[in-house]
Amino acid sequence: MCAHPNPTDRAGGLIYQREFQAGLRKLSTNDYLVLAGTFHGVHAITRSITPKLPLAPSTSPVASSPGTTAPATSGYSYPNPGVPATGLEFLETDKFHLTCFQTLTGTKFLLFTDPLTGNVDTIMNKIYELYADYVMKNPFYQLEMPVRCEAFDRHLGAWLRGRT
Amino acid sequence: MPVYSFYIFDRHAECIYKRRWLPRPTSIAGKPSRATDAQAGSTGLGQTVKAGDDDAKLVFGTVFSLRNMVRKLGGEEDNFVSFTTSQYKLHYYETPTNIKFVMLTDLKSPSMRIALQQIYINLFVEYVVKNPLSPVEHPGGVGVNNELFEESLEQFVTRVLA
Repeated sequence: MCAHPNPTDRAGGLIYQREFQAGLRKLSTNDYLVLAGTFHGVHAITRSITPKLPLAPSTSPVASSPGTTAPATSGYSYPNPGVPATGLEFLETDKFHLTCFQTLTGTKFLLFTDPLTGNVDTIMNKIYELYADYVMKNPFYQLEMPVRCEAFDRHLGAWLRGRT
Repeated sequence: MPVYSFYIFDRHAECIYKRRWLPRPTSIAGKPSRATDAQAGSTGLGQTVKAGDDDAKLVFGTVFSLRNMVRKLGGEEDNFVSFTTSQYKLHYYETPTNIKFVMLTDLKSPSMRIALQQIYINLFVEYVVKNPLSPVEHPGGVGVNNELFEESLEQFVTRVLA
């Protein structure tokens, strides 16, 4: 398993990057920054190209769809009404899988795994939990700045080593 | 298993073919009237929508950036197969000649790599590449928009994939 979590902040800047097992090509720090920025843009575009399905014109969509987040008033709905449209969540290639998790505040976690790795959601949740505990609760951490928290590094490494 | 749209991009980053399939308008209300049913039929499955070029450009940008990203991380011979969001799944296939086939489907559909390959081998090569009247390049979709190709693509998507 090769895991590779990169939390990116709300503006697409890379704030943490760590490689746990070799498997992907090694890039320079600058390339990782470029990659994070590119992904940030692509993520926004993938949300905007969501197909819009036209609603039947004579029905009154406002009254008939209470509680859905789909913009029913403008005459179309998303394929999965009730679920807000998100950007890219899971990318599959021949050599690796990329899972993107966006927190409510807009921080994105990118996890690169081997195609055979299962339970990526569990890993992602644990990483988020560790991030909340050791980064966000660290009084010396400045928001949107690169993460340099030793306790986070230590716990993340220890937890992932325990899994493999 | 609805297919939402299908795009072909040539090696000059131009969209040479684009087609959208609109599923029947989803009426969430209890009883759809006769009139809406008739209308749903006429604007229903298999209609080519002449919308702005914008979404094709956005799709190309996404696919192009992701492909480059994947190649950077996974090596030159790596290629991305598909990605999903909470609403749709995008499938990607690139031929050795850099023609890119992109298909947007719903989330439940299995991998379309074989299907896109089939479209390339059995439809695109047969009806576009082997057509003696078709130009080598297809600026603006010339040569791709022939009747046989469109008809068989229509049949492939509505019968084989549906």
